[in-house]
This record gives sequence, C-alpha cells and structure tokens, in this order.
Amino acid sequence: MGGRVVRAAFLLVLLFAASWYSWTAFSELNYLSSAGRLGPGFFPRFIGASLVLVLAYSLFADLRGKPSEGAISPNWRTAAVFALLCAVFVALLNLLGGLLAMVAFMAGSLGYLNRGRALQNLLVSILLPLAMYLVFSVWLKATLPRGLLTLPF
Amino acid sequence: MEVLNHLLLGLSVALTPVNLLYLFAGVMIGMIVGIIPGFGPSAGIAILLPITFGMEPTGAVIMLAAIYYGSMYGGTITSILLNTPGESSTVASTFDGYPLAQQGRAGPALVMQAVASFVGGTIGVILITVLAPLFTQVTRSFGPPEFFLLVMMGLATLIVMIGGNWRYGVISALIGFALGTVGVDLETGQTRFTFKSAEMIVGIDFIPIAIGLFGLGELYYALYTGLHLKGSGGIVRYDKEQRFWPGARDYIETKFSLVRGSLLGFVIGVIPGAGATVASLMAYSVEKSASPTPEKFGKGAMAGLVGPEAANNAASSGAMVPLLTLGIPGSASTAVLLAAFVLWGLTPGPLLMTQKPEFAWGLIASMYLGNVALLALNIFAIPLFVQMIKLPYRILAPAVVLVCTIGTYSVNGSIVETWLMFAAGLVGFFMRCYGFSPAALVLALVLGPLAEQSLRQTLTISGGSFAIFLDRPMSLWILAITAVVLAAGIAIRSVGKA
Repeated sequence: MGGRVVRAAFLLVLLFAASWYSWTAFSELNYLSSAGRLGPGFFPRFIGASLVLVLAYSLFADLRGKPSEGAISPNWRTAAVFALLCAVFVALLNLLGGLLAMVAFMAGSLGYLNRGRALQNLLVSILLPLAMYLVFSVWLKATLPRGLLTLPF
Repeated sequence: MEVLNHLLLGLSVALTPVNLLYLFAGVMIGMIVGIIPGFGPSAGIAILLPITFGMEPTGAVIMLAAIYYGSMYGGTITSILLNTPGESSTVASTFDGYPLAQQGRAGPALVMQAVASFVGGTIGVILITVLAPLFTQVTRSFGPPEFFLLVMMGLATLIVMIGGNWRYGVISALIGFALGTVGVDLETGQTRFTFKSAEMIVGIDFIPIAIGLFGLGELYYALYTGLHLKGSGGIVRYDKEQRFWPGARDYIETKFSLVRGSLLGFVIGVIPGAGATVASLMAYSVEKSASPTPEKFGKGAMAGLVGPEAANNAASSGAMVPLLTLGIPGSASTAVLLAAFVLWGLTPGPLLMTQKPEFAWGLIASMYLGNVALLALNIFAIPLFVQMIKLPYRILAPAVVLVCTIGTYSVNGSIVETWLMFAAGLVGFFMRCYGFSPAALVLALVLGPLAEQSLRQTLTISGGSFAIFLDRPMSLWILAITAVVLAAGIAIRSVGKA
C-alpha cells in the first residue's frame, strides 16, 4: 500500500513538472520561426504534450489497477538520512571548502552507517578525504571548492 | 589489406608507453567499477571524465573505453562469488556461476568467465575491425530523416528490451528529451526553460545527470534494499591451488557456447538500445535451448555461465560500432563515451574513421590489448579483487559519494551542477524503485538535440510532410529493421512471461 502511494506521488510530481513545461512551450515558445520554418516551440510542444498524456494515463492506470507494490522497505529511513547527509555535504562545500566538507561528511555518514567503530571511522574520515584531496586537487589539478574558510596550504 | 594497414596504424598509436599506461589504468579501474554493486560503467566513466582533462585525446578515450569494457569483466566476479551481480549485464552469470561456486568449482568458474569474456571481447573487436569501415560506407548516404529514425530506433529498442512497464520507459525518454531542450535554440537563438539563469543558457550538462542517476540513485537504492547490512560472509571460498583451473571437459563442453554467445552478443550490441544486459540474457536462453541437458541450467552448468559472459563482452564491443560510425550511442555507457569524444573535439560519425584514422584505429587496436590485459588480470589478480569485495558497503557508500561529488564539481567548477547531480540522485532513486529507465533518460538527453535538429531539418526538406520517411530507401530500411527488432523484443518478453 505504502509503495503504491509513494509511486503515485512521484508520478504526480512528474505530471506537475510536465504540465509546467508544456504550458511554457505553448505560451512562450513560437511554433514557427520568423523565417516561417519550424521554431523553438515545435519540439517542446510535442514532447510536453506527449509527456502529460502518458503521465496522466499512467497515474490513472496505476490507481485503477491491482496494487502490485508491497510495503515500503524498513531501510527507507537509512536511505533518507543518507540522502539528507549528502545534501548537507553539498551545502557545506562552498562554506568549508572541499577537504573539510569531505571530512565532515565522512565522519557524519560513517557515524550513522558504521556505528560502534569509532577508531575505524575516525581514521577513514580523515585519511580517505586527504588521499582524495591529494589525488584530485594536487596531482590531477581538478577544481575543488575553496570555501569561505581557506586552508593554510 | 586496407584493414590490416589501418590496424597496424592503430597498434602504433596504442602501443606508445603513455597510451599503454592509460589502457592498463582504465582496465584496472573498469574492473573495480564492475565489482562495486550498483555502480556501473556509466557513472564510472562520467565521474572519471574530468580527470582525463589533462591528457592527450586519444589516451583519454582509450582509458575511458577501457573502463567501459573492463567493467564487463569485473561485474562477474561478484556474480560468481557473492550471487550479487556487479553490473546488470552480469545478472545472467549468477544463474549458474553461483551454483558452480557453491559446488566447490569457484576457481574453474572464475577462469572460464575470464576466458569467455576474452573470447567474446576479442571476437567483438575483430568484427568491429571488419565491419566498422563497411558501416561507414553505408552511413555516408544518411541524411536528417535517417538520423532521426536511428535515434528513435535506439530509444524504442531500449524501452522494449529492458522490460518492465513500457509506459515508464516512454516517460523516462520523454523527460530526457525535455531536459535536452533547455538552453538556447541553435536555429533562432531564443532561450528555452532557462529561468533566466546564465548557467542554464548552454543547456543541462548530462554529466551531473548521469552521475546522479547512475551513481547516487543506485547508491540510495542499495541502502534502501539493505545492502549495507550485508557483510562479506556470503562470499564463497575458492581453492587457489589444486582445483583452481578448469579441466579439458569444461573447454570442450563450452566451445560452441563461446562462439554462439560472442556472435549473438555482437549483433545485439550493434542494435542501438539493446545492449549487454539483453545480450547476456538472450545468450542464456539460447544456451539452455541448445543444450542436450537443459535441466542442469540453474544448477551449475558451465555453458550457462560461458555463453552470457561471451555475449555481454561481445555486445560491449558491438555497441562501439554505431558510436564510431554514426555518432549514435547504443547505451547509457556509450552515451557518456560520446560526450567524452565531443569534449575532446572529436565528432563520431561517418567521417571519423577517414578524417581521424589514428584516433579511431588507435581506439580499436587498444581494445585488442585491453582484452589481453583483462584476461591476465582476471586470472592472476582474483585474490586482490576478492579483497575489494570484502570492503563493507557501509564504508564504500560514503566514499562513492565523495568521488561522485568531486567528479561533478570539477567539470565546470559549478555548485549549481553539484546540486543538479544531487537532485538527479533523488529522481534516480525513485526511478529505480518503480521501474523507470535512467538509461533511456540519459540517452534521450544526449540525443535529444540531434533528434530535434534532424526532425526540424527533415520537415523543412519535405515541406512538413512525414511521408518523407517512407519515400527514402534508407529510411524504409531503418523502419523495417526497427519493426523486426521491436517485434523480436516483444516476442522475447512474451515468451519470458509465459
């Protein structure tokens, strides 16, 4: 039951987004260009209208059909907390910079997923981000966020 | 003779010390990518794409292609030892690979899968060598109608072949097309769906989308299904000394399976959208049908492991044919490779093999060498990869997030794209949960601009008439092939359900 409701909600969100896309395509983008050729609205109108139709039909068919999904997995909370930690990590990137944000994320997520192994978590939280920083930023010269708190090195 | 000259040119490019180094790094990374469950070659290539920015183009693409076909080898190790496929294309290898390991034949199963992968991969590359120039001849006459039909063929095949709910496949592809329309319309210069953001004017880069869908989405799904709670206790032990090597009987019993799987896999791989997963599952069905003892399948039949393994590796080679000759990727992984080509200023298509022969043939030649390196790695470095399998997912998951985030951010130094990756991860999770197709979304996102441009050009040529698709012989051929492929796909699915 739970899985079915979440799926319907997901389809509804997609339908809402597709409706906005279609409305923009029909109201703001021209079907023909000033030269009389197919314009910027031609393809988006076709895609948007098709998307709304298929999504509406899928939602209708799913709600009318037999419930095929069982209950939500008991691990949903783990996935949700981990996704939240990832969001916090992305938010911290610009604030703390790449290296410190990585250390904070590793400490937080290992503290949650790998409970009871404090020493292991501490070592991995420091050594892995440091190794990645050295490989990506120092060796491969990849761009990492500097953050507001700049490091002395 | 001309082919041999081209191949020699390719070998001279691939055999330089730097390119060999990139090749070995690529196959090693590919093996690791293949071993990690829920972390496929699409995410692996997309994440590692930024680190190739400092490399020379041919070396970079050799390395990224090696990650692609190397992952096909790696995914089977977990299928055999853990009953968990590292890749979707190695699902069929669990059917008989794991029972073989449980019977104490893990060593022979691992060696035979390496041999099958090598044979499949090598036959695939030989067929590319022979057929790619012929494909190039044919595709030179292609115009906008044919390119539009090829894109549609690829997506339709993907939706039908992958299985599950076809409506969700169509929705996935349409979302990809919709995302592909964001940015400036190249014909009129008008902006579309940009929210007046300067970063959106150039469109939505598919790298954050691919990393989010295939990297983060799969990761969330793995946690949702409780993969982090499983330890390494399920790994089957194998004998490294006496019973490691396969017997003569194993080779004799599977000699035709190797050839059948390789040829079938290559043909399926060439069809845009079908891919290695479909090839391996079809090869398993074929082997079971052809076997005098089909009752042994699912209980440890070596042919049930060897056929799909040869097929998925040959399919990964076959998928390079439409990529190199048409510029049309047949799968999400080759779509990422296409983006790598474009980043390096190389335009895959009918002219690539004549205008940049050293690149195209260097890549093809490197695939011969890569398969040899992978055969050796798979036999002699198995203990190393087994240690990697033992790494708990609860530690691996945060580490993968770090790689995904750095990979995305370092492309353009954009925090907006990093948030886009995170959002794509959430969408990817729900898509994975409810049977949508992230591969169709990414493929449509990459091919969307080509589809729109070729459709608009086609309708301009025809004065707005869709009958042009029936007037041109090449278009008719593509429509006929599409009809046959779709009919075969629907028939296979119907038989599977029955």
